[in-house]
Amino acid sequence: MADGGVVQLGKDEELELGKEDAKLLETLSSQRKAKFAFGTTEDYLKMLERMKELEKKGEIIVHHVTDDYDPVGVRTLSGRVKKIPTRETWQHKSCGQCGHIPGYISAFYWIMSELGVSYVDDTNQTSCTAWNYYGSGTSNPVALSAVFLRNMHAAYERNAYPLIHCGTSYGDYKECRYLVVMNRDIRERVRAILKKVDRELVIPEELVHYSEWLHVMRQEVAARRKFDMSGVKVAVHAACHTYKLMAEDYTYDENILGGRRPAPTSSIALALGSQLLDYSNWYDCCGFGFRHILTEREIARSFAYFRKIRPIVRETHADVLITHDTGCVTTLDKSQVVPLAQGYRETIPVISDSQFAALAMGAHPFIVCQLQWHIADWKPLLAKMGIDWQAAYEEYKSYLDKVKGGMKPAFIRSPPRHLQPRPHTKAFRVDEPVMS
Amino acid sequence: MKAPDNPVLVIGAGPAGLQAAKDVAEFGVPVLLVERRKELGGAPIRWSYHTLAPDFRPTEEVMGPLIDFCQSNKNVTVMKGCIVDGYSGRPGDFHVRIKDETTKNITEKVVSSIIVATGFEHFDARVDPRYGYGRMPNVIGINELEIMLKQGRVVGHDGKPPKRVAFIFCVGSRDRSTNPWCCTVCCGVSIKQGIEVKQLLPDSQVYMIYMDIRTIGLWEKLYWESMEKYGINFIRGRVGEVYYTGEKLLVKGEDTLVRGPFEVLFDMVVLAVGIEPGPGTKQAAGALSLSLNEYGFLAPKIPNVHFDSGKEGIFLAGACVAPMSVEEALSEGSAAAMQAVKLGSRLMQKVPV
Amino acid sequence: MSEEEKKRKEKESSAGEEKGKFIIERRYVDDSRIIEPKKLELGGIDMSGRWGTLVLPRTLEDFDTEIYRDVEKLPRGGNIGKCWQCGNCTAVCPVAHAHSEFNPRYLIHIVKMGYTSEIKKHHEAVYLCSGCGLCSAACPKGVDPQGVMIAMSIAFKAHESELTE
Ligand SMILES: Cc1cc2nc3c(=O)[nH]c(=O)nc-3n(C[C@H](O)[C@H](O)[C@H](O)COP(=O)(O)OP(=O)(O)OC[C@H]3O[C@@H](n4cnc5c(N)ncnc54)[C@H](O)[C@@H]3O)c2cc1C
Ligand code: SF4
Ligand code: SF4
Repeated sequence: MADGGVVQLGKDEELELGKEDAKLLETLSSQRKAKFAFGTTEDYLKMLERMKELEKKGEIIVHHVTDDYDPVGVRTLSGRVKKIPTRETWQHKSCGQCGHIPGYISAFYWIMSELGVSYVDDTNQTSCTAWNYYGSGTSNPVALSAVFLRNMHAAYERNAYPLIHCGTSYGDYKECRYLVVMNRDIRERVRAILKKVDRELVIPEELVHYSEWLHVMRQEVAARRKFDMSGVKVAVHAACHTYKLMAEDYTYDENILGGRRPAPTSSIALALGSQLLDYSNWYDCCGFGFRHILTEREIARSFAYFRKIRPIVRETHADVLITHDTGCVTTLDKSQVVPLAQGYRETIPVISDSQFAALAMGAHPFIVCQLQWHIADWKPLLAKMGIDWQAAYEEYKSYLDKVKGGMKPAFIRSPPRHLQPRPHTKAFRVDEPVMS
Repeated sequence: MKAPDNPVLVIGAGPAGLQAAKDVAEFGVPVLLVERRKELGGAPIRWSYHTLAPDFRPTEEVMGPLIDFCQSNKNVTVMKGCIVDGYSGRPGDFHVRIKDETTKNITEKVVSSIIVATGFEHFDARVDPRYGYGRMPNVIGINELEIMLKQGRVVGHDGKPPKRVAFIFCVGSRDRSTNPWCCTVCCGVSIKQGIEVKQLLPDSQVYMIYMDIRTIGLWEKLYWESMEKYGINFIRGRVGEVYYTGEKLLVKGEDTLVRGPFEVLFDMVVLAVGIEPGPGTKQAAGALSLSLNEYGFLAPKIPNVHFDSGKEGIFLAGACVAPMSVEEALSEGSAAAMQAVKLGSRLMQKVPV
Repeated sequence: MSEEEKKRKEKESSAGEEKGKFIIERRYVDDSRIIEPKKLELGGIDMSGRWGTLVLPRTLEDFDTEIYRDVEKLPRGGNIGKCWQCGNCTAVCPVAHAHSEFNPRYLIHIVKMGYTSEIKKHHEAVYLCSGCGLCSAACPKGVDPQGVMIAMSIAFKAHESELTE
């Protein structure tokens, strides 16, 4: 392979590797450095360099995180500073999000509105189709990359910066970006496809997960905290696809869990003043596992319970498990049904970081955070936070009655498709966490 | 034959350097022994090795006579806290600059030949974070256990003796992301220590988590005895993560013979940290313009002949060339001494090469 | 096994071969890990079968050396501790050619390590030993595996209730 060559991807589907690419792949394992991750930091940095070169040559358009987006710098696992846009973001939603955990997204939008930051909720977004890819191995790099860039172009068109809700889309896009940037063949094929749908090859300078947005906005969120969270014990689960796919691009912070585990989500719990607890199976998957939830549901739900929920409850006695991906919230919450029916006792409410933050900021537990859709008992959590959930539930019931009577529901509305002209910009800052 | 006037320079006073200095001095040839640290003895003294594998011989018994000899023999001049900063000249008439690391004073000396015996450093286990070394209590290196054994008190951070101890082999060795070579001694040293832990704490359970057992040559006896006499258990496999529960260490690994993952609680985890060329060896290589191999060890001209640096009058010995045991380092020191004396006498007699 | 798990096991279906038949990739899961209540209801909805099945993890969680100590004390079992898993015994064992379940080296390993979950799965295989003694002749460590098989069968019998629970 060292001389370059052709990798057969499928029938009639080849990936041509230049000498340099081939060498890169071959030396990949020998060059990895055991600092924090066994990653490909060098390749990642090389890819970012290459992106700049391609932009210079006019081969691609790079969607920069300009000052218009009020970016905040975070340190990634690679050590590089990554720019996280804080406003004018284009909401790249997750397939299962609204159906399974509707409060996930409504809470997130609620937070953005509370903080007064503008965003676009565009209906012109497609699935990234990576679900297919990771679940069953269908699809191929060219198709995946084309879908990725199609969505990125839709954001570019709207003059808004893509903010990706789904851990899988986020991870998949990073892998696709690598392929598109590093491999001319894939790039040209994707360009041809995009041309057919009248779009150009626009690659975002940074791929950003919404948990990273919450991370850089945590002080603003904490400033609007309505409840005392100091008695609330929190365990965190991070989604595999956010921090294990192209690991060097996700946010880490030496002051948060010693920089050994990704900073987002843990950081919001800390910023809100709650107690963050560690547990032994932290790095384990939630049980979703992609193909597993499709063809081995018994294993997926059992894994979620026996390898995550039960050890978390036994080791931490936490009041809540917060996480940042659709698949994880769904699997960890819903997988408690069978064990509880079978008589197992350990249980813990599972919500997204956005729901957790919104609750702390005083969002309605049912109209905004929609906890009524969650399986594991959230009542003790709300009680501990000092939220009168019974009163809130009464409000919710009368709200429902009004909706039945014809009132427009709070979160079903035409999404804003365009943004107002941008007024001012803040100076770029690198996130410096307050040491506790 | 008259002894040459110019001394032989020995750099590094570990087992290899000390043995070289002693042998040269016993030929009646003066020796200049330059050691970077403030004490003589190299790794076994610096790290307070309790006993030496494979025979459980107290370190002092092996190292003591060598150190005493070099400190008292009139043929040996010892310069502690010093390094060699540069050299010029030719065999028989090398001009070396010796720098005192504290005062920064430079002394110029003329020497007939040079023996480099700058040894090794332990692998820093923080580099491979899965073991939690430096972060979690009761995760220690074999070097630290050696000190505890010397004090006759093996305890955790709470002062209590451990009930269940795991040794993890090949930490920082035989791994592309750290060091790809085998350190050759840590298997034997770990097993030796396991036995000593059992002697000290007969009720403890000791587990060796290994990839291969490399108790080469006669060191194999340690392996047999540890199992047969001391009931030490061996788990073939690797460890993926050590997690501190606040009380105990949860070791997550695979027993490859069962083809399955285990997660078992231990009171103490001992890491068999490997051997790597240290900054001292790099410094000496720079000062003497010696070449290093791909791993950073000093490269002999021919890999099979360790003492031959490829530069006339400069000889190599010990763990600066490759990972090795004390017994090997001593022989290498002796071999290098022979080369230095041979060269000296040849130069004296003006015998053509 | 915890109290909860014991109770759950009692409720399980007794037809062994039927166990977990709903699991699509059934071949990846061994019987002992499947928890499948005969009848499971939640809020009046029948969740029996596929929708109510759980599968326990296969992680080895402890070293329980009680059986090992017993084997050591029995006649001809005393040398079990010398075994270093070379496999000479299985290499010469005639029974191993006929039964995938029978592997003297492996039986010694799981007993020595005290992997109770594995012993539960494989302990009955010990009776397949033909007693030919070829292994004891081949063993480089003087373990006397043939004798150890006998000692193990006695120890397993003594621990039968725990091993078959
Ligand atoms: C934990 C552990 C336990 C071990 N236990 C045993 C055992 O039981 N039995 C056994 O046979 N082997 C054992 N070994 C191996 C043994 O330590 C080595 O074989 C031996 O120390 C090598 O001797 P050396 O003289 O080559 O190097 P070293 O012992 O490393 O000595 C080198 C000396 O050179 C000095 N130096 C370095 N650079 C410079 C410089 N630039 N200028 C001047 N001076 C310099 C150093 O300060 C040091 O004093 C063990 C190794 C480890 C890691
Ligand atoms: S001596 Fe043993 S522990 Fe050390 S690297 Fe070699 S095999 Fe590993
Ligand atoms: S031949 Fe002996 S040492 Fe080898 S596996 Fe069998 S019993 Fe163990």
